[in-house]
Amino acid sequence: MAERWDRARVLALAPDASSQRAAQSLTSSRAWAASGASPGAGTGPGTGAGPAALWGECRGSASAPYLTVIDLSGPAYRCSCPSRKFPCKHALALLLLWADGTVPEAAGEPPGWAASWLTARAVKAGAVTTARAGAGERDAPGAPKDQKTAARRAEQREVRVASGLTELDRWLCDQVRQGLAASQQAGYRHWDDIAARMIDAQASGLAERLRGLAAVPHSGPGWDGRLLEEYSLLRLLGVAYRGQAGLPGPLRETVRSRIGFSLRQADVLAGGEPVRDHWQVLGHRDVEQDRVRARRTWLRGRTTGRPALVLSFAPAGAGLDDSLTPGTGIDAALVFYPGAVPLRAIVQARHGAVGGSPPDGDSVTGFLAGYAAALAEDPWLDTWPAVLEVTPARSPGPAVCDAAGDAVPLHPEAGTCWTLLALSGGHPVTLAGEWTPRGLWPLTAWDEDGRAVPL
Amino acid sequence: MSAWQELVTASLIGTERAAVPAGPLPGSPGREGAPADPAALVLDRAALLTAARRGGRRPERAEPLAVAEPDTVPAVGRAARLRLARMLVGEHPDLLAEWLAAVAGRGRRVPAQSLPALLHQARRGSPADSELRRLVAAAGGPRARWLAELNPEWAFVLSYAPAGEDAWRLGDTARRRGYLSALRARDPDAARELVAASWDAAGPDERIMFLRAIARGLSLADEPLLDGALDDRHTWVRKAAADLLAALPGSALAQRMAARAADCLRLSGDTRGTRLLVSPPGGCDAAMRRDGITPVPGSGAAQPTARDHLLLEVIARTPLRTWTDRFGMTPAEILGVPAGSWSPTLFAGWSRAAVSQEDQAWMAALVGWILAGGLPGVASGAEALHQLVRRVDPRPDLLEPDANLLLMTLPAVREAMDVLRFRYQMLKELENDGTG
Repeated sequence: MAERWDRARVLALAPDASSQRAAQSLTSSRAWAASGASPGAGTGPGTGAGPAALWGECRGSASAPYLTVIDLSGPAYRCSCPSRKFPCKHALALLLLWADGTVPEAAGEPPGWAASWLTARAVKAGAVTTARAGAGERDAPGAPKDQKTAARRAEQREVRVASGLTELDRWLCDQVRQGLAASQQAGYRHWDDIAARMIDAQASGLAERLRGLAAVPHSGPGWDGRLLEEYSLLRLLGVAYRGQAGLPGPLRETVRSRIGFSLRQADVLAGGEPVRDHWQVLGHRDVEQDRVRARRTWLRGRTTGRPALVLSFAPAGAGLDDSLTPGTGIDAALVFYPGAVPLRAIVQARHGAVGGSPPDGDSVTGFLAGYAAALAEDPWLDTWPAVLEVTPARSPGPAVCDAAGDAVPLHPEAGTCWTLLALSGGHPVTLAGEWTPRGLWPLTAWDEDGRAVPL
Repeated sequence: MSAWQELVTASLIGTERAAVPAGPLPGSPGREGAPADPAALVLDRAALLTAARRGGRRPERAEPLAVAEPDTVPAVGRAARLRLARMLVGEHPDLLAEWLAAVAGRGRRVPAQSLPALLHQARRGSPADSELRRLVAAAGGPRARWLAELNPEWAFVLSYAPAGEDAWRLGDTARRRGYLSALRARDPDAARELVAASWDAAGPDERIMFLRAIARGLSLADEPLLDGALDDRHTWVRKAAADLLAALPGSALAQRMAARAADCLRLSGDTRGTRLLVSPPGGCDAAMRRDGITPVPGSGAAQPTARDHLLLEVIARTPLRTWTDRFGMTPAEILGVPAGSWSPTLFAGWSRAAVSQEDQAWMAALVGWILAGGLPGVASGAEALHQLVRRVDPRPDLLEPDANLLLMTLPAVREAMDVLRFRYQMLKELENDGTG
């Protein structure tokens, strides 16, 4: 099921540096009363190259040992310790021991406490698959009463969103009428208030964009232009929503999802055509907003060349989905959310890991042309994956420059990316990053031996 | 002014006071489709321009950076790379210096992507403790120098770059220190002569810098210079010189120390078996002070703690061969002779001597002895053990000592074993590097 991981991959799962240290201090075999690697519940022995699950009993400060179990396919973790970090140091330590080859392969079933959790997970995973298979039937007429209620609710929501958008439009026009100069003195409340009204109007996408704007007036020279850009695109969303009947279907989906009409994963999976490819994990960027951590993981299909964005969320302090490690590759089927530029995707099925060789880097003009083409379909598109063959340079701030002498700036908040500089030494490197209107946010670079280095 | 800039200015002032720029935009709806509200008109035009500006963005021109000199030295392998990453996130960071020295010593270099974290760590250390900086500069190669040219915070690397004599005559303290350290590594005699010629004109801080640079590759040829420094006007210069002479078992100072120590320790054999009879020095005379021993301040020489302290200071500076020669025993056998309540003091003294004289046989014996439970009350030996396990050759037999199981539960002992194992693996994987 799972090939043995190396320490770096394990340590990359840690929520912070102190967890890494704590886990390393638990990697002596003395700390572990018992441990084992098992084929896992529900699968017969000898199913693959390695184990599907790890389990162990770690001696802690409490009298009873902490019981730790890991499902390597997720990976998913469970531990009896009270830690709120995720994964906790015990799970990390167990993975480190496994990486070092000191967890014995157990031929049989794991002990009962581990087996019950693993079985429950396997059953749940099976249930999801079954639900997906049955999703088509559920939509068939069977419960007309529920359908009626649902239709009425949907109608109510459209009315609420429409009136919310009218209110937002008034607010946006007020800002421009009174002058944006005043917003430098305005506190966070200024944007939080209108964002809260958008929440009431069930337009959470708008609320999120508005809350993010509070920082713009303090983002340095050019803030006024950036604020105008955002306000104008927000008004454009309202205009597009009111005229949605005349929009092509995919663009309508884009408008609605940016306003906050979210699709359920099950519906996306049921409605979309899976795209199977060798997906290269280009890198990920974590952002925290309103006590929620979000991870944007960028993928690119080796055969299709398609970009994909996988989002995962977790409460602040908890671990994010780390099943997609930058620099690796997976053979998987992805289902894309509908939209004018289908970008966001769900991993529908994994068929195994494939070699993580460096992706092919583009030239700056080639990349910008690709972004422009995407933007022509979706004018709100403000993050886009870039893979470039470039050399670090100055323009005059940190920038990257390709062989033709064409350069793009790095995002000012990314600072001087010293790791990128060190890796390149003034020579071209393959660099993956997230393109934004303010510049490129560097995520991953590949060294001369083709190894991915997170930046 | 561009159409966009006109829109930004109008929105900044507000359409209450400013007119909407008249400029027609290609692609904007005609007069009949435009909103009546000037603010809405500004926003609509801004949206159109935003998409056009983002999509039509042209590449910039950039100033290329200088290209780093190629480094022909191969980078360390995968295992060492992972170990470095562990040390940089806080696992045994104090062993970084040894790791770097081993990397440079085996003709390898640090992987480029780890240099920023290493340089950051080296910069955080005090400038006086220049060893880590020198090692980072050495194991970082031309890439580290290239980075230092870009980041003034890392300029210390440049002071270790091969430099002409100008660096010595005209450079600041860091450059002079770098020049001298490099010269000492290349040509110890030339470095000593340079120090001797510059000594009289140097202030106390610089003299201490000289002595630190000389400390590497110490030999008896350095003795006259160090001997002269024993009568320096400044306490810390005198102390530094005395410490270096004590680390040189052939020096006159070490011989004087051996004579003092001979009076302190005698082997006695009678019906009750062999024992060490201890009589610590009665006081600290001027000659002892000149040789670097300082009495415990503020306490009378007759007090037990003061006598204990003097014994420790003498033993710590006495050539270890004094004991093996005089008693005709191996270090382990000497440690096995009962010494009653003096045991902790003797252990501490011998440990300091073994570390400063870099005596592997004694270090191994001392570590083995304490792990076997030789020292009652390990707490008193914890500091010595901490030093020893960081300098002793981590031989496999030390990793599996004939250890007292109860001892293994003590944090200091567990930490010591952990350090030994870590160093053993660290050096072994560097040795295997390139072969697999």
